[in-house]
Amino acid sequence: MSIDSGITWRNPLFVWGGKRDVEELPTIPFRSHQEVWEGTRRSATKLNVVGRLRYYYKWPGHGGTMWNRLRYWPTRRRVLRLRGEYNPKTLRAEKTIVDKRPIWWILGLLALAIAPLFTPGDLQNTLLTAGATFGIYAAISLCWMLIMGTAGVFSLATYAVVGTAAFVTALLAVKFALPWWLLPPIGALVGLVFGGIIALPATRLDGFYYALLTLGLNELCRVYFVTSKEFGSANGGLYGAATYIPEDWSQLGQLLLAYYACFGLMLLALLLYRFVNGRRLGRILRMAPEKREAFAEATGVNFRQARVWVFLISSAALGFIGGFYTSNFGGVAFSIFNFDTVLLGLAMLVIGGVGRAEGAVVGTLIVVFFDQVLNTWGPARFMIIGLIMLLVVLYLRNGLFGIKAQFRAWRDKKKSERRSTRAEKGGEILPEEATETEDKSVIYQRRHDKMTRDHLKTLVSPEIIEEHRHSLNGQHSEALERLLIYFRTRPQVEKYAIMAVERFEGYRIVALSGHRGVAPRVVEDRIYATPDEACHGVFMRRVQDLLES
Amino acid sequence: MDIWFIVSNTIVLACIYGTLAIGISITWSSLGLLNLAYGFIFAFSGYGAWLFAQHVSASGPGVLAAGILAGALGGVIICAVGFIPIHDKPNFTIRGLIATLAINLIGTQCLLWWFGPRSKSLPEIFGNWSVSLPGVVFTADKIGNVVTSVLILAVVLRWMQSSRRGLEIRAMMMNPHAASIVGIGVRRTSFYVMGITGGLAGLAAVLLSQTYYISPFGGLMPMIKGVSIALCGGLGSVRGAVIAAIVLGLNEALTSISIGGRYVLITQFVVIIVILLVRPRGIAGLLDKAREA
Repeated sequence: MSIDSGITWRNPLFVWGGKRDVEELPTIPFRSHQEVWEGTRRSATKLNVVGRLRYYYKWPGHGGTMWNRLRYWPTRRRVLRLRGEYNPKTLRAEKTIVDKRPIWWILGLLALAIAPLFTPGDLQNTLLTAGATFGIYAAISLCWMLIMGTAGVFSLATYAVVGTAAFVTALLAVKFALPWWLLPPIGALVGLVFGGIIALPATRLDGFYYALLTLGLNELCRVYFVTSKEFGSANGGLYGAATYIPEDWSQLGQLLLAYYACFGLMLLALLLYRFVNGRRLGRILRMAPEKREAFAEATGVNFRQARVWVFLISSAALGFIGGFYTSNFGGVAFSIFNFDTVLLGLAMLVIGGVGRAEGAVVGTLIVVFFDQVLNTWGPARFMIIGLIMLLVVLYLRNGLFGIKAQFRAWRDKKKSERRSTRAEKGGEILPEEATETEDKSVIYQRRHDKMTRDHLKTLVSPEIIEEHRHSLNGQHSEALERLLIYFRTRPQVEKYAIMAVERFEGYRIVALSGHRGVAPRVVEDRIYATPDEACHGVFMRRVQDLLES
Repeated sequence: MDIWFIVSNTIVLACIYGTLAIGISITWSSLGLLNLAYGFIFAFSGYGAWLFAQHVSASGPGVLAAGILAGALGGVIICAVGFIPIHDKPNFTIRGLIATLAINLIGTQCLLWWFGPRSKSLPEIFGNWSVSLPGVVFTADKIGNVVTSVLILAVVLRWMQSSRRGLEIRAMMMNPHAASIVGIGVRRTSFYVMGITGGLAGLAAVLLSQTYYISPFGGLMPMIKGVSIALCGGLGSVRGAVIAAIVLGLNEALTSISIGGRYVLITQFVVIIVILLVRPRGIAGLLDKAREA
């Protein structure tokens, strides 16, 4: 833009003969702020829809009904966690189900309860046996989940506890002809003693160190039981204990009884999980996750004691399951001590996701399906289970039930990556931020400021600067007037002041801090001879700040 | 007589298990990976040596070399499958442990499927001679086992002390983060480490097969012993592993003599628990600084 562009501005106040007034000044052509508006609205790239999807279905309903809460005894818990809110646009009262898991649990358990009615006839035997096995293994997985997820002790001794309890109860049942209902409590006692012994190192070792220690425990038990005389080393196991399944029932009746008894065992284990993980012990241990134990300890949380408690409770429960195992199958085989049994059990936890009851149950369902239903496949089924376990552990952070959180984290990462490639901020609130901002007027204020600045930047030219240098006060051309008005309306932090170094001789520019009691700071070394020169210097700095914003 | 037999047996087993334990220790301290697929590597290299003996030649050094190479290959496979994809992901320690366990499950089942459940035996590597001292007879395989394992361990440790690659591995053992900053590639070094420790496992497998047979699940017991020794000695310390191997070997001999072989694992478990209750980071808590997760 040159001074000879031919456009001039006539000073309308010239006729009044003011001091230093000139009649005509070269200036720039008029530029409408509308152009900036249009330019901002127009975009060469495809614009994506911005904002958060409403993931939750919003149930209608009056807000007052939120206060009628159904709680189930003996806890103070509500059946469903609801959140009442008002629709920000329509102001209609609506409800959100924050946690839908109880619904899924009820549906899933109902499906398991009525599943025997829908098994095809030729597969009934296999499926009902697999269902009973699933119940027992799900109970074991839930107790293991308490140890691994809640207590954070990476124990591999679970099946050693179960097997020992099963063998001891089987031996007692065979020797003393004990009734079947005595076996689970005796098993619980055995499990408690066993758990108490192996809980000793758990007080000092943490995490995977404990896994290495208990790695050999199964083998230890297997060697001991196989080589001992009492436990029947010849026939691969110890059988002949009393069982709760009556001999005189039909085969289908026996299978159904076993199925529902094992289902009941799983429900008991779920209840135990709920009561340990969801109440005081679980809360204490959630306070002390891995690598933050020191903080928990400093705040007075005795997490070691809580860990040992959880360990003992689960060991007793595992022993109970061992006793039940004996009374279900009428004995126990040595294969429960196999290392592969431990690995399959671990696969059940890992596939579902550590630290969740639903993970334990669904993981068990998957593994038992491959292991029991497809049992004609031989070693291939173990390979499939191992492959699933490997893929889950390689690609998922926390099993199948961690997919949701992992996917959301990934999506947010991708979102912010894309945003950083396309966003030109310039003081404006970004679209993604905007949806989170409560006061929407701030968004439009910032957007207006940004467009104002964009418009004003086009007005800065040598003519304007020359005009300002020539006449600081008085009537200005339109472009300069817009600039000066903008400068005046900005907050104090953006402004400068003129300090007299020596009256009528030296002036310098300082920047105001904008904070009460904080002195202005010197921004340049230059000393101006007159206040007018310093004033123009301030103008130049403001113009520079504008162009840089 | 009987005592000397058990003691010499114990020394042999301590050498072999010590070799495995040092492999586990090195893997843990340099990569932060707890390799629980050693059972698979062990059986894999045993079958590798067996295939070599069946199809190529039955000469002692050849079979030994084939076993070591097969072990190194197994280690590299585990590195590529279980370490490379997740070594920079969150919660790596536990996930790596589970991944190696899964590889163990898959691998041993593959071996079972391919070779069948019948166990195989290797030819005698060290010949069929013996040395008689007053009161004790040392057979060829015992002397050969001890000499070979000590020799190869010494060579490996010497290589780690003096070579460029060994320097990289030792740097990773000291501080993996700093090592990666000064330009030591974690992935490349991990292949060396896993190759070498897998080779050590292969060596142990071939040596142990002089006493026991090769079967798909035969690697479990050596792995348990090796892990116990590594844990007891303090993960990441070679000296600790040597001391722990001697202590646990002594325990095994004493238990076998006094109350019988079937209580070996039980007394070993008790000994480890006592040691870990006193020093939660193992014996090397006294000697070296163990790696913290």
